[in-house]
Amino acid sequence: MTFLHLNKLRGLVLPAALLLLWWLAVDRQWSTSPILVSPVAVWDRAVLQVSSGELWAALSASLWRDAQGFVIGTLAGLLFGSLLGGSRWFEKLLGPSFHTLKQISLFAWIPLLSVWFGLGDSAKIAFIAMAAFFPVVLNTFEGFRSVPRELIEVARVFAFTPLQLWRRVVLPAAAPSIFTGIHLSLIYTWLATLGAEYLLVSGKGIGNTLIDGREHFWMDLVLFGVLVIGAVGYALNHALSLIEKRLLAWRQKTIAQY
Amino acid sequence: MPAVLNLVLTATSPAPAAPLPELAQTHKLARKQPRAVGAVAWQGLRSWAADWLLAWSLAWVVPLLLLALWSVCSHYEWIALQVLPSPQQVWTTLVDLTRSGELLDNLQISAVRVLYGFGIGASVGLALGVGLGLSRSFNAYVFPLFKAISQVPVIGWLPLLMLLVGIDEALKFLLIAKAALVPVAVNTCQGIQGVANAHVEVAKVFRFTRWQLLSKVVFPAATAQIWNGLRYGFTHAWLALVVVELLASSEGIGFMIVYGRQLFQLDIVLAAVVVVGVLGYLIDKLLGAAESHLLRWRKPGL
Amino acid sequence: MNRRIGLWALALGLLGTAFVQAQEVKTDAPAVIRIGVATGGVGNPIRHGGTSTALAYADKAIEEEFRKDGTKVEWIFFKGAGPAVNEALVNKQLDLAWQGDLPSIVHRAAGVKTKIILGSGVRNGLYLGVSPDSDIRRIEDLRGKRVSVFKGTNLHLAAVRALADHGLKEKDVKLINLDPAASAAALASKDIDASFDYVGLFNLRDKGLAKIIWSAHEDNFKYTRQTVLLVTDEFAAKHAKAVERVVKVVVKYAHKYSDENRRAELFDAWGKAEYPDKIWREDFIGQPLRVRLSPLLDPFLVARYKDAANEAFELKLTRAKPEIDSWFDSRYLNAALKELKLEGYWPAYAANGQQVGR
Repeated sequence: MTFLHLNKLRGLVLPAALLLLWWLAVDRQWSTSPILVSPVAVWDRAVLQVSSGELWAALSASLWRDAQGFVIGTLAGLLFGSLLGGSRWFEKLLGPSFHTLKQISLFAWIPLLSVWFGLGDSAKIAFIAMAAFFPVVLNTFEGFRSVPRELIEVARVFAFTPLQLWRRVVLPAAAPSIFTGIHLSLIYTWLATLGAEYLLVSGKGIGNTLIDGREHFWMDLVLFGVLVIGAVGYALNHALSLIEKRLLAWRQKTIAQY
Repeated sequence: MPAVLNLVLTATSPAPAAPLPELAQTHKLARKQPRAVGAVAWQGLRSWAADWLLAWSLAWVVPLLLLALWSVCSHYEWIALQVLPSPQQVWTTLVDLTRSGELLDNLQISAVRVLYGFGIGASVGLALGVGLGLSRSFNAYVFPLFKAISQVPVIGWLPLLMLLVGIDEALKFLLIAKAALVPVAVNTCQGIQGVANAHVEVAKVFRFTRWQLLSKVVFPAATAQIWNGLRYGFTHAWLALVVVELLASSEGIGFMIVYGRQLFQLDIVLAAVVVVGVLGYLIDKLLGAAESHLLRWRKPGL
Repeated sequence: MNRRIGLWALALGLLGTAFVQAQEVKTDAPAVIRIGVATGGVGNPIRHGGTSTALAYADKAIEEEFRKDGTKVEWIFFKGAGPAVNEALVNKQLDLAWQGDLPSIVHRAAGVKTKIILGSGVRNGLYLGVSPDSDIRRIEDLRGKRVSVFKGTNLHLAAVRALADHGLKEKDVKLINLDPAASAAALASKDIDASFDYVGLFNLRDKGLAKIIWSAHEDNFKYTRQTVLLVTDEFAAKHAKAVERVVKVVVKYAHKYSDENRRAELFDAWGKAEYPDKIWREDFIGQPLRVRLSPLLDPFLVARYKDAANEAFELKLTRAKPEIDSWFDSRYLNAALKELKLEGYWPAYAANGQQVGR
């Protein structure tokens, strides 16, 4: 028990040291750069942002866009991935094209989307949906492909209908991979939400808050934004991990937890 | 380590094609009927070639259909030409840009940036990953901070870095390095920690020195994972490169895309997108080939 | 019985015509007018200054004009400036646009159908700013240096023209695309060596972060930039009367502030927007308000646009040279001038810059 406690404390050493160093740097003015702000300023800014409701407005706008794009992209990805995995013909026809398209760096699509969708949120949501689409398809495809032959053969012996085969054999076997895909898609959509806000500048969002901070040289606002983004990223990951644990509880973890 | 960091391991590229049964048969027959070997080998090769040809031609069906649809679309202007330039226009632009040397210049600059950035990020990531994997105490001190930093996507750091280091090359190298660092470090750490206990025990029985243990057991076992991390790291680095060039650059592929966008010349944008895709594809294939070479001692199949 | 039927028929008939009349009046005024502005403005709600259109925006004059018709007026500000307005125009998301010469020419070359109806922000200046301790003294010294300009906007064309005339090709200089805010930040932090921009540079200079070494006004009028109000052909076809009313409102403001006695008031009004009043004032030194706030689509303006189209083509900024003459539609302006009895108030200039006889 004490060992665990000590372990956790050791993890705090480095961040605490960095915080101290930062505070000293500002206090003792080791750097004369006008941009540098003290941790206290960041805290003050945080309080201001939360109390004025600005944080909520920006964050909710970003999260709403993220959610829309995530749902559209993930659903489309699940459908496309299942088709790729389930049907050999589909894979032969569309597989190579998909693997090639996947190589195009995500952000290169933004100017095209901007012209094709114009003003408003639709360009951003389309971009976020794309960001969700690719990892989900890949991992769903992997999951379907990695269903062990033996299980399918046993199902055939038991004369399962296609629906039963799906529900009882394929889906559970592919589930961990599919979840990995959804997890990855969550990470990528959060990344895409921010990137879309930088590059398709219109409307509110936490990315816009960061840009504002940078433009006005308000490092405290930028740092605050970074903290918020990290917190949201962590919260999303954690939430999905919990859901995954519940849904996949029947499966024994093959990789040890540290 | 939370499940979130596990997932970078398990998402892999599609499974390789199944081994060819015909060649196995050929070997057996070679001993029995030396003269018929030639005929059987030829048959084996023919059916393999036929399979490959079929797969290859099927793969091209959809892209060619889409290309045809695109041509027709722009010919009849179902979609305004400003919004979707014709394929011929994009091709002409591509040729023009190559001929004028502009494309190669920009590509070179982008490539140098990404290689430097990836080099830095991957080296630091490897070192960090090895440290995290091998040393318990290092892990305890550093891992929580590392995990916290990795929660913020690469993009989130961009405005902060812009404030701190400006918009010069340093920004690009730093951002690309950071993008590569996280997947590489995580995968390296996981790879080292995931070495089967049985192997380590056997090494202990043989009384391997620490160095021998590392070089003969741990690292070969971890190579697959580490290489996976490097591939992931490269994809992220490429992503970061495009973003940073879109936002603040005077040359590079991302800059070409921005230029096309600002001047409403979508054919330049499309040409640049095609180039980005092709380049990404080639490098991924290269990394994949290197991986197969390094892991050639591994038996195929799970 | 017959009389009753007759009376009912008459009543219905009257009602019908009244209804139809009402419909006609309603369809003439649009449900919503979407105006795109090629700049980001500042603050929330957005404040914007610098032109007669900006004045109309600040006073909500257009909203007032259409209040009785129940028309909603939507002002959409684009941080991405002219190029972003083009993206919205292509997607038919705007009815009117306030935009600079280069992006307008770009969209005309690309086939988007619009008409220029009003001058708003003509002969705008262009300035070259460098770091206070920089050794760059003239445009020729920019060779090989990092210079920022907002690409695709009329700043870009004017800057490239100036560079070309001083012997520099776009490739000889490292032209970085940055919007005004990013550009100011980059110059202040010395990430770039120079910046082509508008009055924002005065702001930096006053803070001691930049010095201005070149001005378009002092060099040659052909480096000045023009901005106009455009209407999409679609909107103009359906709501010609509404367009005329919008033009009338802006012309009223142009007239009100063309009066030299109102000079201080003008800059005060703009001073509430992106920059304080003295910044705006500097761009107008030595220039009569009647010239700068002129809404006329005179031969001078047409010639500037023709030049711009030619040079944009030669400097490879556009791929086609669009036809310019039929782009200008003076009907709305003429009708407004007639109604407000302002014909001849503003001096018209010929292509060579000389005033046309009244």
